[in-house]
Amino acid sequence: MASGIRDKVAIVGMGCTRFGERWDIGADGLMVEAFAEALADAGLGSEQIEAAWVGNALDDINVGNSALPAAHALRLARIPVTRVENMCATGTEALRGAAYAVASGAVDIALAIGVEKLKDTGYGGLPLRTKGVQNDLWMPYGSAPGTFAQLAHAYSARHGIDSKDLKRAMAHVSWKSHQNGAKATKAHLRKPVELDTILNAPLIADPLGVLDCCGVSDGAAAAILTTPEIARSLGIASPVTIKAIQLAASDGAEMQYGAWDGASVPTTQAAARRAYAEAGIGDPKREIDMTEVHDCFSITELVIMEDLGLSDPGRAPADILDGRYDAEGAIPCQLDGGLKCFGHPVGASGLRMAYEAYNQLLERGGERQRPNIRHALTHNLGGAPFNSVAAVAIFGRID
Amino acid sequence: MAGWDEDPLTMAAEAARVLIADSPPEALRFASTSAYFTDRGQAGAMLDILALPRHIRTSDAANSRRAGTSALLEALLGQREEVIAAAEKRETVPGNSANLSFGDGAAAVRTGVGKGAQLLGHATITHDLVDRYSSREHPASYSYEERFIREVAIAELLLPAITAALDNAGIAAGDIAQAAVAEPAGGCWAAVSRKLGIAASNHCATLEEQAGDLGVAHPLYALGMALTAAAIGEHVLLVGFGSGVDALVFRKDGEIPGAAEMAEALSQGERLERITRFLSLTGGIEMDWGMRAEFAQKAQATVLERVGRDMAGFVGGRDSLGNVQFPKSSIPVNPALNRPEELVDVRLAEENGTIVSLTSDRLNFTPDPPFDFGLVQFANGARVLMEMVDRPPEGFTIGQEVCMRPRIKSLNRALGFRTYFWKAAPVARPQLGDA
Repeated sequence: MASGIRDKVAIVGMGCTRFGERWDIGADGLMVEAFAEALADAGLGSEQIEAAWVGNALDDINVGNSALPAAHALRLARIPVTRVENMCATGTEALRGAAYAVASGAVDIALAIGVEKLKDTGYGGLPLRTKGVQNDLWMPYGSAPGTFAQLAHAYSARHGIDSKDLKRAMAHVSWKSHQNGAKATKAHLRKPVELDTILNAPLIADPLGVLDCCGVSDGAAAAILTTPEIARSLGIASPVTIKAIQLAASDGAEMQYGAWDGASVPTTQAAARRAYAEAGIGDPKREIDMTEVHDCFSITELVIMEDLGLSDPGRAPADILDGRYDAEGAIPCQLDGGLKCFGHPVGASGLRMAYEAYNQLLERGGERQRPNIRHALTHNLGGAPFNSVAAVAIFGRID
Repeated sequence: MAGWDEDPLTMAAEAARVLIADSPPEALRFASTSAYFTDRGQAGAMLDILALPRHIRTSDAANSRRAGTSALLEALLGQREEVIAAAEKRETVPGNSANLSFGDGAAAVRTGVGKGAQLLGHATITHDLVDRYSSREHPASYSYEERFIREVAIAELLLPAITAALDNAGIAAGDIAQAAVAEPAGGCWAAVSRKLGIAASNHCATLEEQAGDLGVAHPLYALGMALTAAAIGEHVLLVGFGSGVDALVFRKDGEIPGAAEMAEALSQGERLERITRFLSLTGGIEMDWGMRAEFAQKAQATVLERVGRDMAGFVGGRDSLGNVQFPKSSIPVNPALNRPEELVDVRLAEENGTIVSLTSDRLNFTPDPPFDFGLVQFANGARVLMEMVDRPPEGFTIGQEVCMRPRIKSLNRALGFRTYFWKAAPVARPQLGDA
C-alpha cells in the first residue's frame, strides 16, 4: 500500500472571506480577500507561490471556467494554475491537488483556493442547467433538498425510527449549528434559532423544512501549503500538517445497482476508511477531536456521523440529542456553524472547513476554541447521496 | 383532464400499449387534431415509446375529428393487423364552452383476423361542414351556431351515411343494439335514431357526460363501451363526425380484449378541488412560475439519435451475469464485471418496480407541485431514479409497488420541443367515488 501524504504537507497560511450575500464584491474580489489573508498569515509574498489549484463548482455563474479567472485576479505570474471541479467537494479537491504537488516534491509552495459567487442569480439554492445530454432525457430534475431528503425516509425505514423522532434529531443538528454560527464573525447566518422554529419551518422537500437546509453563499477560502521543513524555516515550530486526504467517487452502483438501501452514503464510508488508514487513526471515536462535515442538510450530518464511524449504526439520532456533537460535546461538529450557518459557497466550502480545523489546531478559535484538539476531520460531499463524491481530510500538528 | 405531463402522444401510447403485448402489428396509426408536433411523425415517436420494430409502417391522421374512424375503416378494409391510437388534448380558453366540455383522452383499436367485432358495412360522406375549427392563428376551437349545425348535420350527413351503412351491412335500423355516434351538437342522435327507428342509446353521450368531448378519440372510446355492452351476435353502430361522416356497422362475434377496461377507466381518476389548478393545467391562465422555472430543458438531436429510442422506450440492458440496468453502459454497473461488454436489450416499461427512496420536493419547479421522485427497484436488478406521477392523497411510501407510465419528460417552450420518458405511478388508479 502507498505510504500516503501523512505529515508530508504543512499548512502555513489560510484565509477565508466573510461568507454571505456579498453584493459588494465579485468573484475576483473574493479570491483576493482570501488570498491576502492567507499570504499575511504565512508571511509570504504572492511571488513565492509556485503552483495553484483553484476550485470552482459552477463555472457558468460569475467566475468563468479555466484557471484564468484566478490567475488574473491574483496576478499569479505565469505559474501553473489548475482549475478543479468536483461538485460540492470542489474545495477539498483543490486542497488535494495542491497537497499532492507539495508531497511529490514538484513544488515547494502551493496555493489552494476555492471560490463561488452565487448570489447574483437572484434566489436561494443552486441553479439548474441542462445541456441536452443523455441524462437529461431520463433523470429527474430533483433539487438538492429533494435528493438529500430521501436519506431521511430511507434512514427511518432501515432503523425503524419514527419520522417524528428523526425530525427532532435533525432539528437539533440545525439548532446546534445556529448556536455555533452566532459566534463566527465571518458566518453568513449569525442568529440562534429555537428548536420549535426549526421543527415547524415550512417544508421544502419532505421531511426537510427550510431550516433543515443550508443556503448558498458567496465566498472564498485559501490555503498555502509547503513542506514541514520549510514551515519550520519560516519560524513555525509545530506546524499544522495534513494527516490524510482521501476522495471517493461513486461508480454508479448506488443509483443503478440494487444493493444500497439509501440510508447511508457509501462514498463517505470509503473515503473515511482510507483517510483513517492514511492518518494512522485506529479508533476515530477516541482520536478525532472535532469535525467540520458537509451538513448541506440536517439529515446529511446525521448520516455522516455514522458513515464516519463516530456514531454506531442507528445511534446517530440519540448521540445528537445527547449533545455528543454540540460545541461542548465529546466530538464537536461545525464549531463555526458549518454549511448551515457559516455558509456554502460551493467551491470554497471544503477549504472553509479546513480553515476552522487549522485555527482550532493553532488555538486561534477565539470564543469557539475547544481545548486539546489533536485531530480535526473535514468532510466534503458533492452530488447526491445516490451519486456522490466524498472527500475526507484529517489535520493535526507535528512537533 | 390529463396531467401536465401528458399530451396526445403519451396518451395514445398509453392506450395502445395493451394492444401490442402479444405481437407487434403490421402498422401503427396515430390520430389527433391536437398533436404537439406538426412536423414530426407522432406515430413514429409512439413506435419508439412502445419499443416496436422500425419496419412497422406508421402514419399520422389529423385535421378532422373523424380521423380516428377513418383510419380504423382503412385498416379494416385492408384486412391488416393494425393499431389505431387516437388521442386529444385540445387547447381551450376560459369563458368558451369548450373549456368545460372538452376532455383529454385516448383510445386505441387493434384490427386483424379472429373473433371480436366484424365489420359488416360502412359508408362515408365527405362534407366540408364548418361546425367548428381551430387554426394556427386560432388554436382554441371556434364553434358556430348549434341549431344550424344540428340541422345540416342530421339531414345532410348523419341520416344518409347511417342509412347507407345499414344498407351496406344488409341489416335493418332496428337491428342496431348499441351505438357510438359522435355528435357535432346535442340532440343529433335523438333526432336520427327517432327517424330511423333505432332504440339504442348513444355511448358517445354517456362518455361525454363522464369524460367530456374527447375529439378524435371520442367515437373510438365509445366503441369500446358499446362493444362491452353488446351481447354476442348484436350489432353496433360507430359514427365518426368531422368534415363529413364515417358510419361503420359491426357485429360482435366475441369478447374484445381491453374493451371492458375502457368502461372501467371512466370511474377512475382524481377530482380537482380548485378551479385555479384546473385552469393552470389546461393552460387557461398564464402563471408566473418565478425564477426556478427559468431553465432551458434543451434536447440535442445527436443525443436523441444515439440513445433516444432506448430512453423513450425505457430500454435497459442485461449483462452477461443476468443483471439488468438502466441506462445501458459499456462497462456494466454490476460490480462483478469490469470490462466492456454488449448488453442485451430489456424493456422496463412493462415491469413494475418498488420504491426504494423518495421525497416530495417543493423547491424544484414543476407545473403541478410537489415534485415526487426517488429510486425505483425492479425485480430484474435494474434501479432507476424516477419521477413519480398520479400522486395518491396520502403520498408515496417506501416499499410501494409502482407501474410505469409514458409522460413528457421535459418541455422547452422557447424552442417548442418536448422529450418523453416513463414515470412511476401507483399500480391502481384511484376511484372517483361519489365526492
